[in-house]
Amino acid sequence: MKKSSIFKVLLLAGGLSCFSSCSEFLEREPDEILTDDQVFSDAIMIESVLANFYGRVTWGQHIGDWFQYTILDEAGKSDGGPDNIQNYGNAQWRVYDYTLIRNINQFLQSLRATTVITDTEKQVYEGEVRFLRAWTYFNMARGLGGMPIVGDEVFDYQGGMDITTLQYPRSTEAGIYDYVIQECDAVSTMLNDEKTINSARANKWAALMLKARAAIYAGSLANYNNKMNSPIRTAGAEVGIPADRAEGYYEQALAAAQDVINNSPYRLQLNKPDDLQRNFYEALSVKDNNTEVIWARDYRYPGQTVNFTTMNIPGSHAEDIDRAAAGPILNLVEAFEYVEDRDGAIKIRDNQGNYVFYDNPLDAFANKDARLGGSVILPNALFKGTPVPLQAGQKVWSNGNWQTVTGQPGELDGLGRLITSSNGPNRSNEQFINKTGFFFRKFLDEAAGASTRGRNSEMWFPRFRFAEAVLIAAEAAMELGDQPVAVGYINQVRGRAGIQPLTAVTLDDIIQERRVEFAFEDHRYWDLKRFRRAHIVWNGVVNSPTAQHYALFPYLVVAPGTPNDGKYVFDKLTFSNSLHPRFFELRNYYNFIDLGWQNANPKIVLNPFQ
Amino acid sequence: MRKYVNMFLLPAVVAVSSCGLDNYDAPESKILGRVVYNGEPVGVRGTGEAVQLQLYQDGYELRNPIPVYVGQDGTFEAKLFDGEYKLVTRDNNGPWVNDRDTTVINVRGTANVDVEVTPFYTLSNVQLSLNGNNANASFQINEVAGGLDIDYVMILVGKTSFVDDVSYAIRVDIDDVTAGSTITESIDLTNNNDFKSGRALFARVGLRPAGKDQAIYSQVVRLR
Repeated sequence: MKKSSIFKVLLLAGGLSCFSSCSEFLEREPDEILTDDQVFSDAIMIESVLANFYGRVTWGQHIGDWFQYTILDEAGKSDGGPDNIQNYGNAQWRVYDYTLIRNINQFLQSLRATTVITDTEKQVYEGEVRFLRAWTYFNMARGLGGMPIVGDEVFDYQGGMDITTLQYPRSTEAGIYDYVIQECDAVSTMLNDEKTINSARANKWAALMLKARAAIYAGSLANYNNKMNSPIRTAGAEVGIPADRAEGYYEQALAAAQDVINNSPYRLQLNKPDDLQRNFYEALSVKDNNTEVIWARDYRYPGQTVNFTTMNIPGSHAEDIDRAAAGPILNLVEAFEYVEDRDGAIKIRDNQGNYVFYDNPLDAFANKDARLGGSVILPNALFKGTPVPLQAGQKVWSNGNWQTVTGQPGELDGLGRLITSSNGPNRSNEQFINKTGFFFRKFLDEAAGASTRGRNSEMWFPRFRFAEAVLIAAEAAMELGDQPVAVGYINQVRGRAGIQPLTAVTLDDIIQERRVEFAFEDHRYWDLKRFRRAHIVWNGVVNSPTAQHYALFPYLVVAPGTPNDGKYVFDKLTFSNSLHPRFFELRNYYNFIDLGWQNANPKIVLNPFQ
Repeated sequence: MRKYVNMFLLPAVVAVSSCGLDNYDAPESKILGRVVYNGEPVGVRGTGEAVQLQLYQDGYELRNPIPVYVGQDGTFEAKLFDGEYKLVTRDNNGPWVNDRDTTVINVRGTANVDVEVTPFYTLSNVQLSLNGNNANASFQINEVAGGLDIDYVMILVGKTSFVDDVSYAIRVDIDDVTAGSTITESIDLTNNNDFKSGRALFARVGLRPAGKDQAIYSQVVRLR
């Protein structure tokens, strides 16, 4: 009996604790999920939601993903084996982010209702998120063409609702560019016109730059698509802008670009007129006192850093295990003109086919466009004050022939002369050895510790900068037939690079100038698409000068007793890590529509070639 | 004891019987087809999923097409369940006039189907041969639908039996050709490593209508 009463007490105690103890645990407020009311009753919370949006709008080619630089004709992959790219995917750099657009619209709805910040602050926030929304639409449009425009609506689905009211058809291609342009016009009056810290947030000038870029894209699509043998169109004009719209878009682009050029606090940065290479590097890759960059993806230690420098730094300057993941290819290097010669080919052989000998490998690049040295580390060029050696091997003169001798990276010959530099280049599958003959300079951070895994770099990635306004103005003026204006603008950019002025501007000049000015800045792919040149440049033909990747290998001359002993020569080789020429097919001009999207919304029509 | 046996039996029965219902047998029926013009199969690029047809089947909620890949000799094949299917060409794909008329196919066992297309140009009287160190090609260009310029014609030599504008060892392009003309070309292979190796060589010729995504090809010929 006693035993059983103790048992009852225990049971009762256990039963009670079960009911009482848990209740507080279950009623805690979650600290990771915040309600709308909680966020929009706190000014700092509102700002952090905005910061989240800024972190979600990086697409296409950017320094957060170095591999993307190797798929066009700017750089080649050096980390291990070849890339095997034979063609471009149907979803290449495709953007379809209605989650972000919905989140922005939710933000707008609550922002307009909140009372914790002033109306002036609200207006700026509204301008910023609407700018980011326009930027998102723009990124969708350049890959996919016209897509559904949902305005400020936040859709709410409840069971039993007629779902077809939530299904919007695709807009026309012209319609989506018009929408971006209108939104930019609207928000440019809401935003501040001062420069922002590290150009990390959008201001009025970023909005005008997006307007100018959207207008020039739409103008060139209207123009050049209709000049193709069979223009790429859909029946409902979701793809394909009528040719008669081109002039209007060019006028809009010119006006917006000129507004930035004449009225903004930015200018073509020219802080070091005596050292134009350094000047160009600093205009792109140094944040202090920068007058060039209008809007950028900024990075800041701790928390927000980028590993581009860690992955791509030359081995001779590396601070950690990683190095030399990719390097620029000869195709890009030769695209840079000489000061007095528009043909940028490196002189490696004379007219008789004999080697040209250079005392210093860097001499082969003398008198080049200053932007080359500011964008690419050339053999023996300085980085952080010390030279970056690049030597593939030795050319030994024996019995009237040149013999090529290569060794392990860092190996010396019997006389103590370097055979192959520890940086490379070589033609192997080894990791951490350069394979192209060049390293990146643009966006390579000089700060101590910037190439370590633990820290990484604070380098920014500019999305809009002043030179783009100038080149958009030049292009628009050229298309509108105003040669004097076009020549004036393009020569400003060429002047900063230290190369000869032009007397007339053609489309080829614009393509050429944009290629070298904006290398690694996510322009090349979209430019060749909108000019409808991509399928001509990347034609998939083996050994084509434009579609095949090439490397340039420097060699030390070993010819004892001759005047050329100790000099350097170069070999142009196909780049060993891109096995196939780049091949852009007509279907690649527009991304394919995912069939899942069409299943969810049958009003979405498919793109051409799909 | 009997009770225990029954207890074990029940889950065993459940385990054995439950799986059967949701599994289908693999499809056994087939469509065998050709893309033809005037009864002759049309040669296309057979690599990289370049030329596709699309199969639709009505009566289901979703309408995603089944892609059917056309081989380089113009034939295609799909393994399916019995039923009624609709076959169309892919939009703007292939060296023929874009025509998206539907071919209805009833599949019961094996169905043979010819998809009629109208090429812009065809190639006829194709002669490909190896003569010493030279590969000789001769062929005639015929205008069919026309209306588009000829971007280029190409002579392709490959080291496998898959030869097209992406897979080749030697490629010679000829621009400025006109319909009705006969092209004769000889390619010197003396310095080509694949030629010097003495292994098998294959060849075909192709023509790319300007503005189309694909070229039309002759059938592949083995040179040696």
